[in-house]
Amino acid sequence: MTSRDRLQQLQEQFGPAIQRADLPGDHRLFVYIDPAATRRICQYLFDTLDARYVISIGVDDRPYSGQFLVAHDFAFDADHVLCSVLIPLPADAPRIDSITEVVPAAGWAEREMRDLVGIEPVGHRYLKRLVLPDGWPDGMHPLRKDVPWNHVPPGYDAERPFTFDEPPPGCTVIPFGPFHPTLDEPAHFRLYVEGERVRGCEYRGFMVHRGIEKLAESVMGYNDIPMLAERICGICGCVHSVAYVQAVESAVALRPPPRAEYIRTVMLELERLHSHLLWTGLACHIVGFDTLWMQCFRIREPLMWIAEKITGNRKTYALCVVGGVRWDLTPPLRQELRAVLDKLETEWRPVVAAVAKDKNIQARTVGIGVADRRLVKQAGLVGPVARAAGVAIDCRRDHPYAAYDRVEFDVITAGGADVWSRLLVRTAEVFESIRIIRQCLEKMEDGPLAQPLPGDLPAGRLGLSSVEAPRGESHHFLITGENQRPRRWRVRAPTYQNLQAVPMMIKDQQIADMTISLGSIDPCFSCTDRLETVDLHSGAAKVWSQAELLALTRGGKAAP
Amino acid sequence: MTARLIWAVGGTLGNAGLALLLAPLFQGVLRKVTARIQSRQGPPLLQPYFDLLKLIGKEDIESGEAPPMQRFAAYLALATVLTLAGLVPMGLPVPLAGAGDVLLLVYLLTLAGVCTLLAGLAAGSPYALVGISREMMTMIALEPLFAIAIVVGAIRAHSFRLDVVLSGSAYAGGGFPWSGAVMAAVILSSFQAFVQRVPFDVAEAETELMEGPLMEYSGPKLALFKWAQMTKLILYATLFVALFIPWGSGLPALLAWLLFWVKLTGLVLLVTVVAATHARYRIDQALRYFAGLLVAAFAALLLAGYGH
Repeated sequence: MTSRDRLQQLQEQFGPAIQRADLPGDHRLFVYIDPAATRRICQYLFDTLDARYVISIGVDDRPYSGQFLVAHDFAFDADHVLCSVLIPLPADAPRIDSITEVVPAAGWAEREMRDLVGIEPVGHRYLKRLVLPDGWPDGMHPLRKDVPWNHVPPGYDAERPFTFDEPPPGCTVIPFGPFHPTLDEPAHFRLYVEGERVRGCEYRGFMVHRGIEKLAESVMGYNDIPMLAERICGICGCVHSVAYVQAVESAVALRPPPRAEYIRTVMLELERLHSHLLWTGLACHIVGFDTLWMQCFRIREPLMWIAEKITGNRKTYALCVVGGVRWDLTPPLRQELRAVLDKLETEWRPVVAAVAKDKNIQARTVGIGVADRRLVKQAGLVGPVARAAGVAIDCRRDHPYAAYDRVEFDVITAGGADVWSRLLVRTAEVFESIRIIRQCLEKMEDGPLAQPLPGDLPAGRLGLSSVEAPRGESHHFLITGENQRPRRWRVRAPTYQNLQAVPMMIKDQQIADMTISLGSIDPCFSCTDRLETVDLHSGAAKVWSQAELLALTRGGKAAP
Repeated sequence: MTARLIWAVGGTLGNAGLALLLAPLFQGVLRKVTARIQSRQGPPLLQPYFDLLKLIGKEDIESGEAPPMQRFAAYLALATVLTLAGLVPMGLPVPLAGAGDVLLLVYLLTLAGVCTLLAGLAAGSPYALVGISREMMTMIALEPLFAIAIVVGAIRAHSFRLDVVLSGSAYAGGGFPWSGAVMAAVILSSFQAFVQRVPFDVAEAETELMEGPLMEYSGPKLALFKWAQMTKLILYATLFVALFIPWGSGLPALLAWLLFWVKLTGLVLLVTVVAATHARYRIDQALRYFAGLLVAAFAALLLAGYGH
């Protein structure tokens, strides 16, 4: 079914509640609906039409249309259609029916919308702050257009500790984070445990906010943002940069030259390779198998070197501009890349064989951290977590971008829905990535690297883009704007959805399984924590205040 | 009489000194070999000495719930292993052979584990408490194993004297030593746990519990604890050699002494290779494993009782 057929279904079902629609091509659908029908329409999409929930976005559109705007994004993966349901809200009463009751996966997105844009999800059962720290004053919403990007509101209390929920009776609390050797990035799980068993947990994250979206919407230009987008993540940065430029390109109907599309594909797959190797190593480290960890990193290293040769950097490739790429793959580089892939393939096979035979690793991973098909659907899980539960979704095949429609590869799935299956999926995907890069090197056409921009880009256009990151779908929503920068740019990293399911995955497991279960979604907290205007930390008991630490690190003397 | 006294004092000091002096070297060997298995360069062989020196030179911070207990646990840990050093034969006769019987050895081995419990209690943090609950469960399952091994030796040698039991007594007496052979296999299979290495380092599991009971330790006291742990590796290896690999002790003294250290090195290398090729067990999986060994050990005890 194309986007036109889907629109027809909606119109037949809801009639006048569907106010208007934009259909830029067969694969994108933007429908504007009556706010009163929000919950019914979302339920119909999610349950009856079996669409996958992607993300919800709050937009302060008052300077342009005098209204607030909420977008609920859904994906019809089998139809190759990305769909955005847009709901205009009056400027004086930004309230909307919560859809969390019918689409559980929207829980975080609605809380975030309430924190940052001040749109109240009516009927949401757990309206605790998600992104904003507890010391932030009420009624101050950083992503509204009348708040400057560098504004720190009066009354903001950086020292105020987070408030936590009461643990269930009979449980003790084990704090996991904000800093823990296996987390690598700050995030705070409060585990409720009975003996060695985890009965539940509360998550507080968003401690490394960098205000990336606000920065892009207020001070940067279209072609500065790819460099910023890349810094969302230290592992899958290229994914975000590609997803961003594709969102702009799809909004203004600009197609990069084929050569650029092949180069983007090669670099994305190179990124997936190093990410999967890194993950396999870290997973081994988490279960105490350091030898395999070290071997994975040794095998991974040539990938970093070839990336440096191509782009000048091991990571953070600075590859994309709107309309194309900046680096070429010259024949000698292609030759070298082929050799690197050959070596990787021969070295990776024994690792996969060793892992597959290792009873010890299986004892620690089989049946652990289970996220079954139901949870995948309800929580909107993506990437290897979904594929390990037998849900064959992969944006490279379902929403083809770059040159993925011109190469052959298999979508790897497994059936166990546990950590072991995720391990199998990731280790096998390495071979698929090698296959894809080889085909690209074979088929790559000559031609320009980038399409020059046709003057100023028009404002008010909507763009959606999904890119399959190593951890799952990275989804970018974008509205083009004035001054050659987007009005609104919303990044949804795969961890944003996958992390929400972790409390369900670790329930009734042992503490020892917590780290590998969390590790198995390949969490990326900096991706998830991309929003906000100020930097904060947990506010847990500490000797130094943030101001004092800053003063110290900047060489000054700390205030007493 | 004087000669015995001199040997008791001198031998104990010698053993303790030797254990303290060589423990970091064996640790260095362990780290170097691990690194080689992992395709790494690895730290210099003498790195553990530098680490200890560095830690000893650091500020002595006391933290956690009960600093006096924290202090006591660190001193006790080292004191216990040093006392143990006097009760084992490091290639020469046991220095303190007359000081007690093998049961003293069993108690001291348990005391070494108790130090870790005290350390965890002193820290009082949730991670430390999870660590000591794991340590305690491990101790309950493990300590009987070595005790049984020693008692089997005692039964076969018809003596509880230290020097008699600690000279290959597992195979003493007539006939094929079934019980001794079973215990050798049992202790070898659980050896990683006695010296707290992967796959049985559950109580400290860095990636889960952040060193567990030891998390509040820093500076000189951490050095004491680390040193005690390194020494423990040598002592357990010594005990294993004395009980189960006695061959060659009839050689001329110098040769026998050298041969002892060769056996010890072999055992340390084995520990290294096993640690480098396994993933960590979860506490319940580890306990199930120990339970199996415990059954085998009791069977061996019965066999020994019936003279096999």
